[in-house]
Amino acid sequence: MAEYSLLIILFAPFAGVIALMFVPNRRALQVRLTAATAAFVSFLGSWYVFFAYDTAKGGFQFVQRFEWSKELGIAFYLGVDGIGTPLVLACTILLFAGIFVSWHIKDRTKEFYIFLLILGAATMGVFMSLDLFFLYFFYEMSVIPMYLLLGVWGSHTQGYLEMTDPAQMKKRDSVSFIFNFAANSKEYAAMKLTLFLSAGAVFALMGILLIYKFSGLHTFDILVLREHAELSGSLAWVIWLLVFFGFASIAPIWPLHSWSPVGHAAAPAATSMLHAGVLMKLGHFSIIRILYEIMPDTTRELMPIAAVLCIFSIIYGGLVAYYAKDTKYVIGYSSSSHMGYVFLGMAALDYISLTGAVLYMFAHALATGMLFAMAGWVYDQTHTREIASLGGLVNRMPFVTGCFLVACVASIGMPGTVNFIAEIMILVGSWNKYPFQVLVAVVGIVLTTGYLFRMMRGVFYGPMEEKYSHSHDAVTVVDRLPLLLMIACTISFGIFPGHVYDVIRSGVEPLIARITEVAPLISQHSGGVMP
Amino acid sequence: MKFTLTMSGADLLLLLPEILLTTWLCVVLAVDFVWPQLRKDRLAYLSVGGLAVVLVTLFWFDLAGISGTLFKHMFVVDRLAIFFKILIVGTTLLVILASMDYVRRFRFFRGEYYFLVLMSALGMMFMSSANDLLSVFITVEFSTFGFYVLVAYLRQDLASNEAGLKFFILGIFAAGLLAYGISLVYGETGKIVFSDIASASATPGLVIGFLLIFAALGFKIGAVPFHAWIPDTYHGAPTPITAFLSIAPKVAAFAILLRMLFVSLATFKPAWVVLLVAVSILSMTYGNIVAIAQRNIKRLLAYSGIAQIGNVLIGLAAGTKMGSDAMLFYLLTYLFANLGAFAVVIAVGNVIRSDEIEDYSGLNRRSPFLAFAMLVFLLSLAGVPPLAGFIGKIYIFLAAIDEGLYTLIVVGLINVVIALYYYLVIVKKMYINEPVDPSPLRISGPMTAVVYVGLAGTIILGIYPRPFIDWVVGATLMFSNLVGPTASVLPPTVLPFGG
Repeated sequence: MAEYSLLIILFAPFAGVIALMFVPNRRALQVRLTAATAAFVSFLGSWYVFFAYDTAKGGFQFVQRFEWSKELGIAFYLGVDGIGTPLVLACTILLFAGIFVSWHIKDRTKEFYIFLLILGAATMGVFMSLDLFFLYFFYEMSVIPMYLLLGVWGSHTQGYLEMTDPAQMKKRDSVSFIFNFAANSKEYAAMKLTLFLSAGAVFALMGILLIYKFSGLHTFDILVLREHAELSGSLAWVIWLLVFFGFASIAPIWPLHSWSPVGHAAAPAATSMLHAGVLMKLGHFSIIRILYEIMPDTTRELMPIAAVLCIFSIIYGGLVAYYAKDTKYVIGYSSSSHMGYVFLGMAALDYISLTGAVLYMFAHALATGMLFAMAGWVYDQTHTREIASLGGLVNRMPFVTGCFLVACVASIGMPGTVNFIAEIMILVGSWNKYPFQVLVAVVGIVLTTGYLFRMMRGVFYGPMEEKYSHSHDAVTVVDRLPLLLMIACTISFGIFPGHVYDVIRSGVEPLIARITEVAPLISQHSGGVMP
Repeated sequence: MKFTLTMSGADLLLLLPEILLTTWLCVVLAVDFVWPQLRKDRLAYLSVGGLAVVLVTLFWFDLAGISGTLFKHMFVVDRLAIFFKILIVGTTLLVILASMDYVRRFRFFRGEYYFLVLMSALGMMFMSSANDLLSVFITVEFSTFGFYVLVAYLRQDLASNEAGLKFFILGIFAAGLLAYGISLVYGETGKIVFSDIASASATPGLVIGFLLIFAALGFKIGAVPFHAWIPDTYHGAPTPITAFLSIAPKVAAFAILLRMLFVSLATFKPAWVVLLVAVSILSMTYGNIVAIAQRNIKRLLAYSGIAQIGNVLIGLAAGTKMGSDAMLFYLLTYLFANLGAFAVVIAVGNVIRSDEIEDYSGLNRRSPFLAFAMLVFLLSLAGVPPLAGFIGKIYIFLAAIDEGLYTLIVVGLINVVIALYYYLVIVKKMYINEPVDPSPLRISGPMTAVVYVGLAGTIILGIYPRPFIDWVVGATLMFSNLVGPTASVLPPTVLPFGG
């Protein structure tokens, strides 16, 4: 049974999707319970995998392999290492919490949960795949449900109303519409996000196809490619850049971030949670899984690109978040900014900083998940996301305010939360190589404090407008459960980081050893296209 | 030349599927004449029954490995021909099922409709077996005649008449090109069987002859720049015929192209690869970009079909066994997804009597099943996992990258994103927009069956393609010696982005 854990985690949501198809849409409670059960199975499974992962042994565990097509060299190959394990856990926590966060969705509940479960399962699939084909398969699969989740159940941003008169309706279907940055309707956000990520994916696919061809091994198996693929010279650079920018667009690295805040803002709460919490980490994860594993030498040469771009990510994201007027934009840009920290940790190619980066992905998933869940709650109650028009909600919703404070504190990286450990590891680990970036990151933390507390003050404190007096707190178990779950995880991992640290270390150690200790090739720059 | 026709019982066996279908279409016609009061639904079921028998025969042929040639190599039966015949007969069967509601719109000749569909199918079955230039000409024309009538079947509808006329004039023109090309090739080589021509040397007459033949077949598959008839014909024709036209003749024409290029012209591969790369790039880019501007779903599917043919041509351009495998697999995925999409268009059109994309608004509220099916078909056409189209695209790209066709792959991949946009616009209409008239849509039993077959094919091919990949690999074993020196066609330095 234990060796099938990953299959159970991955296929429980898919089983839930199939079960949901047979549940009638008008039985909303039955629909929700079916979805919750499916997510709960994954949730339990991932905790099991997390604690059963043998840190002394390391490497890929719970491996499952099925020949899928010999002709094409594709195998359905699952396994997690120390990097995948915590991310799968984060994904199932957020999926499970997300089911409850979206408990009150009334419009087409069944379809919503179907797409949410597909999104969650596909994301987990990426974290587990040991085959390039299936990594891409699940990656692309996770992008498409986002379109419908945003488009159908999302919310418009201010300024959208100018677009809704009948004469302008047609404009929203035209080609020029994609380039119309003023109109932040949910349709616009959905289309932009999907096309942006698909375009990124297509570049990455080009790189993957080139790896397939020039490794000459006729396989997509990452472990085989890691041992035997010899890619060097300008070809390796081309592949590395294609894969890096292809996946970095979802991460999102500056200047490829513009889809992300728009998408976060339009998405319904549970989707933003999964999106900011785990979907964005697909980018970092895929870069680590493909480039760090298969092309360690090129990674060592080219990773400074990320170190440069992460400066802009951190500062630009932070500044925009500070001036943003919309709660979800603040959180969205803060996520973009915080993803710069992960790139910094990755770029330093240091064992402590990379461990910190992976831990930060995990920590950020929980923290940002909480923020989005509560921004969604506030939106559901008040039907606005404009900070200026809100205020004084602490009188109506003390519980949510308390949770929001914890989430802010976690986001900033206060000691006692797992974010603190991650942040400090990134800063310490990168100091030797990139002291300037570390200083930037510290400024970023100050910015984070600034914009999060500004938003906190604007939304929950100060005078309250009369029209919001009907809004109420999260009182039922269903509403409180997801928040309490994420808070509990954030704080308990912050106080007892031992196991998660061991797990990540067992994955990061061999990786960094390969990248830093491989003797440089002599013919590094003289090679042509052909290997 | 003394021409003797000697046939044994074993030879007749090779023709069994065609003989069965010929008998059956005579039966259908006779029943319609003798018994005019018979409900036309019964004729449809009769036709479907006959096609099912033919389909079973074909599967038996495939499993038993029956092969051989007839009439001095004019007619060939091998696993490749059988594969194409299965595709054609399967498409015809589904198209007839999907036509049953639509046929009520015709004022006259409802019975002959099924006869004509079966006759076109018979012509295309012969096309899949064509093994020399003479049979290419006869079978191509034979299969097209039925379509000329079928496209103009809505007699009261001007668009349908226009479609028929356009199709007819351009079709006749293509036939002229084909005949002229064949005469040039025969004049240069004195041979008509594909495998005999393989030894010919490249003279100007031969080159022009083959270019003309290629143009005529390009007309059949609707590749740019021979696509001009497609949008108007698709738009005006009765929708089931549009569905039929968008799949079966293209599949059959690919059978001929495959044999011609891989057998007769194997030695000229470097030359035709360049030609196919150009046509493929043009088809994909033109089809996808023009599709964005469409307001009518039949026109949109017409242009997306042009782009899909561009994708199939990537496999052909690879010019290897793997390329032909990928091509066959892609055609299979295209069949299910495109036929399914047209089935939804027919089902919706039968109720709302409109093919405008605007009228698909809120389809999800009116019929969740049809909207979901359309979503799956469109995403499969766009190449989104875990659906069939994704595997098809990856297979094609893998075949192409093995041959170093980087430019083609880059263009193909960019086109994937462009195509995603206009497919998603339809998805947006169906799921996000609210319906003007929220009454639920009713769909008939046969229609539902067709949509379910499409869904099953699209999803199974995406999740478990292994048996199908084995099937296409087995169908093209005859090309396994094809490992041409293709790296020289495009210099390795064309690697994009300055590699």
